[in-house]
Amino acid sequence: MISFPLRWTRAHRVVAASALSLLSWSSVSLATEQVVIASTGGAYDRALKAAWFDPFTKATGIEVVTVVATNAEMRAKVAAMVKTGNVTWDLYLDGEIQAASTAHKAVTEDLTDFCKQFAGRKDLGPNACAAGGALLQSTATLLAYRTGDGGPTPETWADMWDSKTFSGERAFPNFDDPWRVMAAALLADGVSREELFPLDVERALKKLDEIRPAVSVWWKTGDQSVQGFRNGDYSIGQIWLTRAKAMQNEGLPIGWSYKASFLVGDRIALVKGAQNRDNALKLMAFWLNSPEAQAMACEVLSCTPPSTDAIALMSEEVRKTMPHANEVRDFMVVPDAEWINANAAQLLQRWNEWLR
Amino acid sequence: MSGPSEVLQPTSPHQRRSTAASARFYSRGVSVCLAAPLVVALAIGFVYPVTRLVGLSFEGGSLEQYRRLVAEPLYLGVLASTVKVAFIVTIASLLLGFPVAYLMARLRHGIAMVVAACVFIPLWTSVLVRSYAWVVLLQRNGIVNTLLADAGITDGPMKLIYTQGAVIVAMTHVLMPFMILPIYSTLRTLPPDYNRAARNLGAGAFRAFISITLPLSLPGVFAGSVLCFVLALGFYITPALVGGPGSMLMATLIGQQTTVLLDWPFAAALSTVLLTVTLIFVFLFRKTLSLSKGLHSVH
Repeated sequence: MISFPLRWTRAHRVVAASALSLLSWSSVSLATEQVVIASTGGAYDRALKAAWFDPFTKATGIEVVTVVATNAEMRAKVAAMVKTGNVTWDLYLDGEIQAASTAHKAVTEDLTDFCKQFAGRKDLGPNACAAGGALLQSTATLLAYRTGDGGPTPETWADMWDSKTFSGERAFPNFDDPWRVMAAALLADGVSREELFPLDVERALKKLDEIRPAVSVWWKTGDQSVQGFRNGDYSIGQIWLTRAKAMQNEGLPIGWSYKASFLVGDRIALVKGAQNRDNALKLMAFWLNSPEAQAMACEVLSCTPPSTDAIALMSEEVRKTMPHANEVRDFMVVPDAEWINANAAQLLQRWNEWLR
Repeated sequence: MSGPSEVLQPTSPHQRRSTAASARFYSRGVSVCLAAPLVVALAIGFVYPVTRLVGLSFEGGSLEQYRRLVAEPLYLGVLASTVKVAFIVTIASLLLGFPVAYLMARLRHGIAMVVAACVFIPLWTSVLVRSYAWVVLLQRNGIVNTLLADAGITDGPMKLIYTQGAVIVAMTHVLMPFMILPIYSTLRTLPPDYNRAARNLGAGAFRAFISITLPLSLPGVFAGSVLCFVLALGFYITPALVGGPGSMLMATLIGQQTTVLLDWPFAAALSTVLLTVTLIFVFLFRKTLSLSKGLHSVH
């Protein structure tokens, strides 16, 4: 054993050489430029990877590392990272409304300067890039119903409350973000879209008392809303458009109405103190600058991309089910993010009190 | 009581106690060294974060968080229903778990292993999986509803899932192993001679159980009940999956404050209250049980 270092056999040389090459290989991979992004995983992640991350890596050589977490986990984790100064993520995805909150501003970088480069773009709307993050996609929370009995179809929130004309049980979301249920109740009670915000919470809850016995599903996750519809647990529900489309693709008898819908979207936010800040900005710019990537992802996810050029690239079939410009103009409700954020704690507390 | 059995049974509790006493032979220095790793680990991984958490709830030296907690009836109301659910689940686990533990302790080795496997395998399965299993069982077109309808007991599907009842059933199922195992380990150490002696002196099987086996098994009952109760107080996943809007528990509210509203001082205040209530109940529980006879080994 003592003579071991002296007998430098061929085998030793091979081992040493491969060890050295391993070392150099790992240092090379460490040196590779990268950017870390957190998203909600699953089908969503796969679509983004194929349409956005992979083409980006091909174009720039920057590796995109994805981390999977729920939106709530992301928010809590990013807050903890910034608080402790140990930031390991660069970008994460958050809801349009949350991205306008003060809690969000405290942990993410203000993108106002970054957004200036998109100011002159005709295909991007004014909110495609905002201080809180770049717009990833938009979708809706809306009224969906079971089709096929040949009768009239519900179109408005008032129809959802009308149990005489439209029988069957109802579904509403209950994922700690109650504004959209209250807003639907107020619209059903005759409040106009223009006067909806600030929400009259007590009036909304009073209206909800009427429908409460008919509600069979208070869904917490998108999957619950799908499973409930498959099982026949409800025939009219307030659910996500993405899920309603997924069920239609499955062949389930489902229809929906843009006359009872709320516009909601996802934003890409830059974590304060991100280690790969430059790469993160490049990745965000790549999304907004490539209608092809947006079209490809939204084709799969049934979302509305930020660029109108991207919409033009999507298939006729998908475009047919997207809300028309006049439906958006006349009916879709754009939530007052500022008001919702300012009153989030109070809303949730009152909601919890009502619900239990 | 253990006098005669000491002669008959070399591995009686008495004998075991004298082995345990041999720990006193170690010098103070060795004892400190042996305990040090665990003490350090607990200090870093448990005492420090809990202290920070409690400190966070008094942020800025104010009682503002607690004022809000008491002023809104919601929070104390949910706390009360959390304690209620935890109690029901503990009692249900005890009633269902004790016979299983008794059976495991009395059966022949081979069959006891099979019963033990039935207890252990669910314990090793993720809580998420077990809770989802209840979703499958209890849903509208689930097995339970189909069976009831086929047997002609019910006309149509009953509302089983997303109810308080579903939460209690699923939580009891998840927590049962924590009740069975401590009771089982206590019953195993009871020499069968005590029971035989009681029967010999004219007690019926029931009387022997009530006055001999049951009191002697109380340390296990205590340990199991405390485990179940404490775990039930902090349950989060199961109520979220099988519960309805009415089954709101403390952990749900703490989760909302931590991840949705990012109001950590208030989340810390809620956690501190839950922690305090837990400690109070564990203390009361021990007091009550130690009054009953046969519980001298609960220190």
